[in-house]
Parts: sequence; structure tokens; C-alpha cells
Amino acid sequence: MTQAIRQWLPTSVSALGVLVAGLVVLPLLYILTLALSAQAVVWSRLWQTRIPELLSNTAWLAIGVSVGTLLIGVSLAWLIVRYDFRGRRIWEWALVLPLTMPTYVLAYIYTYLLGTGGPVEQLWRLIAGPQAQVFSPQTYAGATLVMTLDTFPFVYLLTRAALLNLNVSFEEVGRACGVTRLGILWRVTLPLLRPAIVAGLSLVILYVVSDFGAVSLLRYQTFTYAVYQQLTGRYDHAAAAILSLLLVVFALIFLLAERWFRQRSRFYQTMGRYRAPARKACGLLGTILITAYCVLILGAAFAVPAWLLLKWTATVISDGTIDARFFGFMVNSTFLSALAATIAIILGTPLAYLATRRHSRVSVLCLQAAYAGYVLPGPVGALAILVAFSQIAPFWYGTVIVLIVAYVVHFLPAGLQTMEPALQQVTPNLEEAARSLGSSTVQILRTVTLPLVRGGFIVAWVLIFLQCMKELPATLLLRPVGFDTLAVRVWLEASEEYFQLAAPAALLIVVMTVPALLLLVAKDWRAA
Amino acid sequence: MIFMEKQTHQKMRTAAHSNRQPVLELRHVTCAYEAGRPAISDISLTAQEGDIVCLLGPSGCGKTTTLRAIAGFEAITAGEVYLQGRLVSSPSLSVPTEQRRIGMVFQEYALFPHLRVVDNVAFGLRHLPADQRADQVNTMLAMVGLTGFERRYPHELSGGQQQRVALARALAQKPVMLLLDEPFSNLDPDMTGKMREDLLQLLRHTNTTALLVTHDHDEAFAMADRIAVLNHGQLEQLDVPEAIYHTPATPFVADFVGQADFIPGVVEQGTVLTELGIFPHEKEYSLGAKVVVMIRPDDVHVAPSDQAKATILARQFRGSENLYTIALPSGRIVHSSASSTSIHPVGTPVELRVIATHTVLFPQDDDLAQP
Repeated sequence: MTQAIRQWLPTSVSALGVLVAGLVVLPLLYILTLALSAQAVVWSRLWQTRIPELLSNTAWLAIGVSVGTLLIGVSLAWLIVRYDFRGRRIWEWALVLPLTMPTYVLAYIYTYLLGTGGPVEQLWRLIAGPQAQVFSPQTYAGATLVMTLDTFPFVYLLTRAALLNLNVSFEEVGRACGVTRLGILWRVTLPLLRPAIVAGLSLVILYVVSDFGAVSLLRYQTFTYAVYQQLTGRYDHAAAAILSLLLVVFALIFLLAERWFRQRSRFYQTMGRYRAPARKACGLLGTILITAYCVLILGAAFAVPAWLLLKWTATVISDGTIDARFFGFMVNSTFLSALAATIAIILGTPLAYLATRRHSRVSVLCLQAAYAGYVLPGPVGALAILVAFSQIAPFWYGTVIVLIVAYVVHFLPAGLQTMEPALQQVTPNLEEAARSLGSSTVQILRTVTLPLVRGGFIVAWVLIFLQCMKELPATLLLRPVGFDTLAVRVWLEASEEYFQLAAPAALLIVVMTVPALLLLVAKDWRAA
Repeated sequence: MIFMEKQTHQKMRTAAHSNRQPVLELRHVTCAYEAGRPAISDISLTAQEGDIVCLLGPSGCGKTTTLRAIAGFEAITAGEVYLQGRLVSSPSLSVPTEQRRIGMVFQEYALFPHLRVVDNVAFGLRHLPADQRADQVNTMLAMVGLTGFERRYPHELSGGQQQRVALARALAQKPVMLLLDEPFSNLDPDMTGKMREDLLQLLRHTNTTALLVTHDHDEAFAMADRIAVLNHGQLEQLDVPEAIYHTPATPFVADFVGQADFIPGVVEQGTVLTELGIFPHEKEYSLGAKVVVMIRPDDVHVAPSDQAKATILARQFRGSENLYTIALPSGRIVHSSASSTSIHPVGTPVELRVIATHTVLFPQDDDLAQP
């Protein structure tokens, strides 16, 4: 099959692929050289002052959030898949909604909710007496809570999918072997779910260690925040690069873990003929308890924050505080995001094409390189682009171009992940059929391949567009002077504790993300 | 002839199982997922110790439901299931599967992918002390011929090896009976013959009572002491394989277990008159009744003859035999199998001779009488 294509596929596509991959991987190489060529003094200074604290902070945050998301995500997935209660179908969908909240939005809302004199404290004082206090959001507990509420859907989604695909024969054969239901749960079901759960957790950890928005607003010192501080406060590129390198290594571990376990989980589930387990019907009490649990989680992670955003936005609008500048930010955001998404799709096409149509060492390498953007958390990516541009094209520094490049490098992997399967679904036979009917390569691409993958590519575009709309750290660091986006405004207002002023932009981001998230989830959704 | 054969079977069975309690007994079992639409209804059957009983039928006939009802995975809505004389299922009672002491081999084997072969086999042996457990596992693996595969994971085994592990796991806990759900359907067709032989030998050797579900009549014939043919949730016939083939109780059974033609005829005194000649008749039908005679291709012999009115329409070479499709003067079709060495070309006029050891008659209905 590949032989035939290999003959007629022009080498220009390969060349293009290598070029794009090189472009993407270049910033990473800059970071690497910068970090490794840094003076030993810088290393030792960092090692003595910052690194132990950052390491332990980042690790503890990752651990705390993992435990939280594990408990919440797995329990919710279990209830949704294995029990039948009123409203189950709605909850099943609704529980992914927290993913629409960028971490900085949730963080700023919890700064308000848990802050001194905030609603939670007032409520708590009614119960526990006038002197009672709640924990400050700007602590380990606060950061853990916010990140847990924001990321548990990853674990929920992956566990849910694994549970749905779990062949009930495994449990039945266990029972035929004389093992009790509890024994089956521990010895069969959970071990079979383990790869999916671990994949979900890896995703959560990847998200946590590369998050900048929440930790910066909650003043919790992690690697991303430290890189940002080195760049903006001390202008120390070498130190920032060293911290970035450590962070990249950290992220890489979990990215690989996620891949590995997702692969395994696929392998666990494809065994044998599938049969779904029976769902246990819930009585009134069961329904009330499960619903209360769902309300609590979703309320804290989505409903209350969304309601606050709505309320504040209404206030701001009726005050007339919102002005023409807001629409300027909107235009900035939309323009930047649309441009970046379009460029990413154009650059991603040859890569995806190479990956699906030509299995060679070069194409695999190109693709892996393109995925490097994944392990470049926002501030790190920004630093890399910054350094790269100051070396190659210093005259472009401080223009929108730099920002666009940063977006493309950072979000191309996410786009590729959607484009690749879309191309994969078009069998090469179709292209070969067109070829046998006398079409040229370009004609085939235009008349056969592209029309067939249009849907997948549009989804990829939407995905990149939204990620760009939400992007915070790179935008903060690289934007031209006076050029603010919605995300930047949310962060700037929120860090000054102008909660109401931050609301309209935040609300807009959330509202725009909802349909796209549902679209994305629906792609491989099977109703439970 | 038929009579004699039936008697012999009866004798064989009573001699083997005189006055012993059946290992498995189903009494009028009905299972309904939705009220009024039973998946199986009024199924009764028994299996004595060491028996291999086959549930045979097309997909959706309820054979797997029957198996799952015995295993305790499906609740029954009427009737009773007994295992070794103990009531395990009734509409008001259902002993949990884990307390039924059954062994089960699933169609896809359901080997735990996260456990090694040795841990799969030992899965139900937690109650044993470690050394006994190890002994038992080793015995089982030796029995199925997989010694040396202890440390492998299921995905490192071939389909046949996986099946043997599943078998070892099911038998390790010394179940009262073994339930097998289409155990050969996931195997390469080339392998199934050998695997059937091995399984049969193993079951005989261990004197295991087994209930086997299959949609393949060849498999049922090769394995079973008795076959229960199911269709639309009803038990059509329960008998020894030979009787199922030669004296099917219903047209469905006749058709399902092999090629059959149904030739219409009219009952006369002691005989049935058909286009293919006269058949003996045993008084089940009244004089003048319209019936069909079931004819198997191996009962029909062809001889080329220029005067003959029947002609060969098609020939299908099947290796060991030729299957001829023959058009009778009326346009009706019959099939004949002949040795693969005597070849008659299509279009040859042939004389037909039917040598049936038994005459199987069914009432004529429009479906069967169609040419």
C-alpha cells in the first residue's frame, strides 16, 4: 500500500514537513542550549535558592490534585456508568463543563469566594461562630482545590470511557470463579480500569505543572510562575531557561506516561466481544444522594462561578463601566486566534499527511518534533520564542508575529491530534482510485482528500482557535505594548482584585468554549 | 427401523444413568427481559454426571440466555433450575453465581489481561493455602498441556492456548459443571477440529458434566451426548445427535442440522405418495392427509438415463462429495450428494432413487411445499 504512494508522493511534502517540524522544535533547542550553556554559578544559585522549593511545591500540588481528581473523577464515572437515576443523562454531559473554565478564571473566582469577608467565610461564620475563618485561597489548599475542580473531568472522562468499554465478561467470569462482588471490584474491575485512570491522572498532572493562570493569581510558587518571574522581574534568561528545562523534563515524563497508559488501556479493552454491564436502578434515597453529590461538585466547579460571572457582567454593563476598549480586546483576541489557527492548520497539513501516508523514520521524527509544543508550558514556550527571535530576527521582536508563532508552536500538537485521525480515516485506496483515473497529486488533494477531511480539520481549527483565545502566559510575555487580549484583561483585572471588571471577558471566554467542548467530547462519546 | 434405534438410545441412556440425581435440571424455565416477550420459554432438560449436552440453535434463539440463567447471570421468570439437586434459580430465588460452583468458559475466554496465566488459573483458588493452590494450578496447566506458559500474559498466547487457559481456570475450582459459550467460535477454522477432539477427551477424562452452547451443528454432533435444539426461545427437540439428524422432530430442526428437501405427498394406506416415489408410513397421519417428506441429499442417488425427466441443474464440488441440484419434472428442486469421483455434467437427465432408512413426515404447509 505505502509502496504505491511512496512512488508518487512528491518529496516537496516531505521537505515541507521537515521544515515545519524544524520550526516547531527550534525554540526547544534554544532553551536547551541556553540552559546547558549557563554558567555554573547560575545553576548553583538556583539550586540553593529556588529549585528545592519549586520542586516540592510543584510536586505537592501535583500530588494533591491527583488525589482529589482521582476520588472525584472515578467516583463520578462509576456512579454515572453503573447506576441508573433520574437526570443521569444530563449529569453525564454536564460534568465535563468545568473544562470550559480557564484556570485563571476559576482561580480568580475562588479568590473572591474564599477571600477574607467573602461569601464562604460569611456562610461559615453563621455556622461556626463570628471568629471562624476559612483557609485562604492563596495557599497550597486553595491552589489544590481550584486545580482539582478544574481538572477532574479529565479523569472522569477517561474512566467513564474505560468503564463503558469494560467487557462485563471479566466480572462475570470472576464471579463464576466464586469471588464475591467486592473481591471482583478490587481484583478485576479496578485493575482493568487502572490504565485509563493513570492516563487521566497523567493528563491532570501535565495540566497542573504547566498551568500558569491559577498559580500566578493564587501566588503559589511553581516552576511556571518562577519562570515568569525570572523573565519579567529579573530579566534573567539563563535562570529562566534552567527552570524551564526542569519543567520540560517534568512535563515530558507525564506526557509519555499518558501516552503509554492510554495505549495499554486500548489494548485492555479490545479483547473479545463487548457486552455492556447492567445498570443498577436507584431508589429515591440513592437518587437524592447521587444528585446531591453531582450538584456539589458541579456547583463548585462550574455553576457558582458561571453564575457569579453572569451577575458581575450584568453589573458592569448596567454601570456602563464596560467601554469601547472591551470590544478592542475582543477584536484583538479573535484576530490573533483566527490567524494562528489558520496558520497552524496550513502548516499541520503536510505533517499530518506525512504521518498517515508515509511511514518512514523521517515522518515519525517530524511528528514527534511537532508534538514537542506539548511539553512547552506557556511561559517556557514564550521564553523559547523570545530567545529564538532575538537571535534570528530581532527586528520582529515585540510584534504580533512573535505572538502568532508562539501560538502555532504551542497549539499545533492539539490540532495535529485531530487532523491525524481525520486523514487516517480516508483510505489511501480512494487516492489511488483517483490516481488510476488520471488525477494529479494536487488535483487529488483538492478533489478527494481535502473534501473528505474537511470536518476533522474544522474541528482542529476551532480547537486551536479556542486555545489561543484562552492563552495567557505567552500572551502576557510576548504581546506588543498596549495590545491586550481578553485573557490578559481577565488576569490583569483579577490580579488587582477588580473582580467585576474581569467578569465580562471571562464570561465571553467560557461561553465561547462551551459549544466547542461539547463538540469535541461528542466526537468519541458513547452514551452510557 | 426408527423404532429400534430409538429403543437402543433409550437403553443406552438408562443403563448409564440409572437412578442417579442429575447434575443439572431445568424445569419449565422461562426468562423474559420484557413482559410478554420471553427470551426463552418453558425449557426443560437434565444433564447427568459426565454428560455433554449441547444447546444448538441460530443466533438469538435463546441458547446463551439459557446458559446465563444456569450460571445465575439472568433471573428467571418461571420454572426452576437445580444444580446437584439444590434449587439455585426460581422466580423468587437466585443463588449468586459465586455460590453456584459452576465453571464457565466465555466465547472470548475473558482471560484477565492484567494477570499472568498462573494467576488467571489461580483466580478462584484464594481459599486454598499457597502450596495447595500452586499444586492445583500446576495440575491444571499440565492437564491442558500448558506447562511452561505460567509466566505469560494472555495476549502472548495463541487463540487455542487462551482457550485452554480459560478451561484450566474454569476447572481449577472443581466445579459441579462446566458451561461453555461458543468455545470454538473465536478460533481459526483449521484448528477447531483438533481443539474439539482435545476438549472432548479432556471432558471425558475428567468426567466433567458440561453444557455447551453452539450454533454449529457439526460441533454439536462431534461433541454432544445429547443435543437440545432451540428456536425462538423454544426447545424444539432434545435427543441424541443421530436422532436429531435422522429423525428431526420439526421442519426447523430438519433444516438447521443439515441440508433437507421437503417433498409434498399424500398419505395412502400405509404409504405416502410423492413425486419421488412411494414411502412407508407409520399411521401418524390420516388417510388423504397432505404431508411433506423430508429427504436428505445422502438418501438420494442419481443415475444418468436418457428417458429420465429430472435433470441436473448444478453441481457443487465439495471435496469429499459432489452436491447435485436436480430439477424434478414439476420444477421442484431436490439435492443429491454423490461421491466426488463420479461426475455428471449439468443438464444430464437422471433417474432418482431414494433410499431412506427412515421416513420423516411433516404436515404440509405452504412454506415447505414451495418448490
